[in-house]
Amino acid sequence: MNLKVPERLRYLKTIGIVNNGFNGRGFANPYDIVVSREGNMFVLNRCDPARRSAIRIGVCNLNEDYLYEFGYGFGDGPGQMVWPVSLAFDSLSRVLVTDEHNNRVTLFTSKGDYVSHWGECGTGQGQFDGPAGIVIDEEDVVFVADQKNHRIQKYSIDGEFIGQWGERGSSEGQFDLPWGITIDRQGKVYVADWRNDRVQVFDKNGEIKMVIGSQGDGEENLNRPSGVSVDSSGDVYVADWGNERIQVFGRNGEFKYTLRGEATLSQWAIDFFASNPDEMEQRKISNLEPELPDHLLTAYHISSQIEPFFWGPVSVHVDSEDKLYVVESNRHRVQVYEPA
Amino acid sequence: MSDLALMAHLMRRAGFTATRDELEEYLAEGYEATVEKLLNPGEPGNMPDDLIRRYHVDQSELRQLDGAGAYWLYRMITTQNPLEEKIALFWHGLFATGYSKLNQARALLNQIDMFRTYGLGSFKTLLVELSKDPAMIIWLDNNDNHKDAINENYGRELLELFSMGIGSYTEDDIKECAKAFTGWTVKNSEYMAMRASKDSIWPYGRIAWHYEYREDDHDTSSKSFLGEEGSFDGEDVIEIIVRQEAAARFLSTRLFQFFVADVVTSEGELVIDEMVREYFESEYEISAVLRVMFNSEYFKSDTARYARVKGPVESVVGTARIAGSYAEPTIAVTDLWAQTMYMGQGLLAPPTVEGWHEGMEWIDSGALVERVNFAAKELGNPDKPGVQSLINRLTEQYAGSPSPEEMVDGCLDLVGPIEVADRTREGLIHFATSLGEVILDTDDPSSDGRKKVADTLSMIASTREYQLA
Repeated sequence: MNLKVPERLRYLKTIGIVNNGFNGRGFANPYDIVVSREGNMFVLNRCDPARRSAIRIGVCNLNEDYLYEFGYGFGDGPGQMVWPVSLAFDSLSRVLVTDEHNNRVTLFTSKGDYVSHWGECGTGQGQFDGPAGIVIDEEDVVFVADQKNHRIQKYSIDGEFIGQWGERGSSEGQFDLPWGITIDRQGKVYVADWRNDRVQVFDKNGEIKMVIGSQGDGEENLNRPSGVSVDSSGDVYVADWGNERIQVFGRNGEFKYTLRGEATLSQWAIDFFASNPDEMEQRKISNLEPELPDHLLTAYHISSQIEPFFWGPVSVHVDSEDKLYVVESNRHRVQVYEPA
Repeated sequence: MSDLALMAHLMRRAGFTATRDELEEYLAEGYEATVEKLLNPGEPGNMPDDLIRRYHVDQSELRQLDGAGAYWLYRMITTQNPLEEKIALFWHGLFATGYSKLNQARALLNQIDMFRTYGLGSFKTLLVELSKDPAMIIWLDNNDNHKDAINENYGRELLELFSMGIGSYTEDDIKECAKAFTGWTVKNSEYMAMRASKDSIWPYGRIAWHYEYREDDHDTSSKSFLGEEGSFDGEDVIEIIVRQEAAARFLSTRLFQFFVADVVTSEGELVIDEMVREYFESEYEISAVLRVMFNSEYFKSDTARYARVKGPVESVVGTARIAGSYAEPTIAVTDLWAQTMYMGQGLLAPPTVEGWHEGMEWIDSGALVERVNFAAKELGNPDKPGVQSLINRLTEQYAGSPSPEEMVDGCLDLVGPIEVADRTREGLIHFATSLGEVILDTDDPSSDGRKKVADTLSMIASTREYQLA
């Protein structure tokens, strides 16, 4: 019997608190994250309809200092967004953000000044139908998961079309509403092929190299994977959104282990309870990890009731130090893991 | 009444209105077979949750009322089991539980899901599940109903509003009923009740609720309830309730008023008598009672047709289904829940535990304007896939150039069929005539001819008859 336990990441901390206002510290349905060379976390807040005027990117650090935020509000004007999905840095540390409703990519400086945007609705070159995941390689080539066109498109930073691959389908090399996308240190492109319940791995020209996962909730399975990231050793972290978990695979696609979430109180949450001690007292005597009745034993229901677990783990990001950041849209927070 | 008109009548009542394509499919199966299909739902075929959740963060988290309402409206609009959603809407009105006190939309939708699961089954099982439902427990304070200090709220409403009606029990029965439900609460009830009362979402959004039975807080003493003696618990009390003639008549009457006619006539009473009989013969099966009702001659008669004012939710969902709107995730759904509220039926937000006052009370000057505006806007848009389909049928029927009379009669037929008063028809024809010649020679939605048909559909949506089910 093989009793070898895989090397696992270790839970580090939780950052975030629900932001019910319109700006300031906290997150509102965060949808993606990238971490700068300086270690600052850029968190994309998609915001629900009631808070949509505050669609923004919030910037904080691992010490939970909320540094600044930027955005131009809800709409289709310059710098504005409606349904932002993903963000990435270029080589100048500028930030590109996809918007699946406005069908465009918007470029900001790292301080948040609007620079430009490109893209329009359509099926041709330079057009999108729901741009979702975005990643930029070391040569500033932009890769976008053009979800409803079921393809990956390549652009220059300025929006000049370079190439594309993929079409709708479930065979290798085809896609069904692709979402998250990343590039590993060997230059392989990983795509969370959302409705095909798998991650497909390509070279930068779209030649298929590997397929990870299949539909289901077992160890090797995925259910609507939304995000993917790769660490320095080649381990692949998949936001297994439909199963409310993170699946970790080795460089050859072999299953390694699962993360289900173990959130604790962030500093911002501790600050909240400091001024609401009555809630803290009740919380202390409550069992926040109860056993649930049979009819609620689905991943979604479990996550909606057990606060430490991931709920809506929509995106994952591995930073230069191999720390893993898991973005939870429904819990308005980021859980951070670090190498053991 | 033609077979087509009868099927349309059935689908307005057992569902939310059917498109012409759907009506033709149902007609091919026949009336009674369709009733059976409605009563025995299969796969709902509604818009899948993963698609909804991917685009609508609010409908994934289900923290807020508007997002939760929009989520349910998506299901109503896209379901292929319309009675499953309609019966859930019926129970939502009868067992009215509202967001205002709970501040917990997820719990409300879990309750609606429970109505889908049990809403066509045993009334006894449904009442047991209702009594264990976390949203109901918090709504009517059963979390404060303790062995040493009872809270009568749930026990009273269970008898008065949910199962038998006033006059069928005594004040002592209420107290004994409340005792039987002591210990029926939610997990972490103190913390959850505090969060609900403070509308606290911190630190990480809502924590959903689930039922918990606390044996140490349950009154095990002997009780006297509706003339019976025993150390009853909640399930025993419900077993006694459902055996009562009053419960059978209460349930049958409420079903009749929701599905058949706002006003119960002496002829209607005879149908209710049959429903009561079936209630006991089937051992409280709701689907069996509905079967008797839908297959009754009274339901199929002209008397029952247009004998109800459409509720706002019926109106919104029915119009959206005809127009083919909201069949895919769209940002426009964000405002859909608000439409039901403007019309007087904010889904998941009934005004009180008594639910909504229905029938003619749906109509006041403000609500009527909202109803007409919404329907006219939907049906008056030739870009909508459902409207395009209607225009294509009309084009085929009248060889591309209908007269004003043909256009009005054709549109009335295709959105219903709807029968309107002679005066209404004359007004519609006058309007259609004012549009000038109608040439339908292209499928371009922006073409003049197709816009004129859409304008006529829009005008039909503003008629009195369109507001009736």
